[in-house]
Amino acid sequence: MIVADQLVTLAAALLLLLLFFSLLRLSSSVTYRSRIVAEQRADALLRDVLTPAQYHQLRRRGYVDVPSPTWANRVYRIPRSRDQVRVYEGGRLLERLCVQAIEPMPTGDIVVMHKLMIEGNEAEYLHTANHFR
Amino acid sequence: MARLRVMSWRGDSSYEWDPKRIATGDPEAEAAVREAERIFREERARGSTAFRVTPGKLGEKMDSFDPSAEQIVMVPRVAGG
Repeated sequence: MIVADQLVTLAAALLLLLLFFSLLRLSSSVTYRSRIVAEQRADALLRDVLTPAQYHQLRRRGYVDVPSPTWANRVYRIPRSRDQVRVYEGGRLLERLCVQAIEPMPTGDIVVMHKLMIEGNEAEYLHTANHFR
Repeated sequence: MARLRVMSWRGDSSYEWDPKRIATGDPEAEAAVREAERIFREERARGSTAFRVTPGKLGEKMDSFDPSAEQIVMVPRVAGG
């Protein structure tokens, strides 16, 4: 009788464990899927915001060059990775900038964020950034 | 169709309105643009910055909602990293 009780308890514990791992797997699969959807949306936004040449450069080289709207010889190199933005003047590396959104965003959206802020609000972008020489 | 796109961790959320239908006084289209304007103000209050995106032009910062904009992208608040 005692052995039967122990077997029932063991079976119940195994079932609970199985249920726990199934839920864990389901949850990580949902998270993974939503991350894929977010990156797909970000890629669609990239196509809308970048010029075809910039989008091609990003896909091929892993970065996009955005000319400064204020300084004639200045170019901002925005990486696809979440790395620092490099500032070139006359082809020479001048400094690196670190600007981050306060909330997590897909990688593609981060590229769009840098580009729009540089083009539409360069002074504030430079004021916000941490500068590394 | 004009579009407001709000960036978030899920990718951007999109809100659309039809300027042509608004011009004819279509109540459904007017409700859509009012909703877009409400979201625009709400996001600005949270610290987001809005940019007008027009093909072939540089991104342009917007301080107020413009229903005639083809596309508006809202970027969340940023900080030096």
